[in-house]
Amino acid sequence: MNRRFLAGARSGFRIFLPLSIGLIPWALVTGVALTSAGLSVVEAMGMNLMVYAGVAQIATLPLIMAGAPLWLIGLTGLALNLRFLIFSAAIAKGFRGVPLRLRIPSGYLLIDGVFAVCTERLLSVRDRHWRFGYFLGPSLWGWGLWQCFVLTGVLGAGALPQDWSLEFMATIALMVILVPLSRNRPMLVAALVGGLASVLLRGMPLKLGVIVAIVIGIVAGFAASQLLPERKEV
Amino acid sequence: MDGIWLWISFALVSMATHLPRGSFIVLGQRASLPPTVQGALRYAPAAALAAIVAPSIFVVEGAVQPFNPKFAAAVVVLMVTLRWKNPWLPFIIGMGVLLGLRKGLGF
Repeated sequence: MNRRFLAGARSGFRIFLPLSIGLIPWALVTGVALTSAGLSVVEAMGMNLMVYAGVAQIATLPLIMAGAPLWLIGLTGLALNLRFLIFSAAIAKGFRGVPLRLRIPSGYLLIDGVFAVCTERLLSVRDRHWRFGYFLGPSLWGWGLWQCFVLTGVLGAGALPQDWSLEFMATIALMVILVPLSRNRPMLVAALVGGLASVLLRGMPLKLGVIVAIVIGIVAGFAASQLLPERKEV
Repeated sequence: MDGIWLWISFALVSMATHLPRGSFIVLGQRASLPPTVQGALRYAPAAALAAIVAPSIFVVEGAVQPFNPKFAAAVVVLMVTLRWKNPWLPFIIGMGVLLGLRKGLGF
C-alpha cells in the first residue's frame, strides 16, 4: 500500500459512489428473492458470497429449485454472464503490471457499474499502483454494499407477509435489467425471439427449453444485426 | 433440491460467473477475443433474461394465458422503466399493481 494506490482508490470511490447507490434496491430485492425461493439464511448468503452476481443468482434459482440438471444450470449461468467475458477483455489492459495474485481476486470483484465508470481511465493512466487502487477502491465498496443489503433483504423477507407474491419481485428485477438492454433493434430481436421460444418450448423435459431458447435468441439477434441497419434507438 | 446438490449448483453458477469475469484479466496480454465472437456474445444476456422472464409472465399453471395479473403488472413495469430512472419505482408500482389486482379485485 502506498500513497499512489490510496489516491487512486479515493478517485475511483468518488466516481463510483453515485452509481453505487443504485445497487441498494437491487441488493434488497435479491435478498428477498433468494429467501422467497426457499433458501435459508446460510444458503442465501453462501450463494451470494460464492456467486456475487445478482442476475445470475435470481435467474438460475428457479432452475436450481426445480431440480434441473446441473449442466443446464451451469450453461444458463454462463449465458447470463457472457457479458463479463467482453468486459474482462475490454478492461484487461488496465491490469498491466499488476501481479497475478492480485489479478485473480480482481476478476471476482468485477461488476457492471465499476466496469462502466472506471475502464476509460484504467486504460489511459500509466501508474500501475494508482490504477489498481482506482479499480479496487470502488470494487470493494460495491462488494461491501452488496453483501450488506442482500443480508438486509434476506433477514427482512421473513417479516413480510407470505401471501404477497414476493417471487414476482425477481421478475421485475430481471425486467429492469432487460429493458434498457433492448434499446437497439438486434438486442430487441434477441430478447423477443428468446422470450417467445422459451414460452413455446416450456414443455421440453428438464427445463431444456430455456437453453434452446437462449441459443435461438442469440442467433436471431446476431442475424438481425447483419440484416438490419444498426440504429441506436428503436 | 436440497443439501449437497444445492451447494454443488451454487459452485457451478459461481464458476459460470467467475471464469468469464476473470478470463482476460487473469490471462493478461496473452489473449484477446475475435470481434465476430464479441459481436455474437453481446446478444446472450438479452436472450437469456427474456427466456427466463417470459414464461413467468405469460404462463399460468402450465398454459399460455396472455391476460393475467402478472402480465398487467409487467406492462406497467415496462412503462415505468422506460419513463423514469428511479431504481425503486418499478418494484413499488409493479408489486402495487399485482397485489391490487389479486387482493383488491380477486384475480
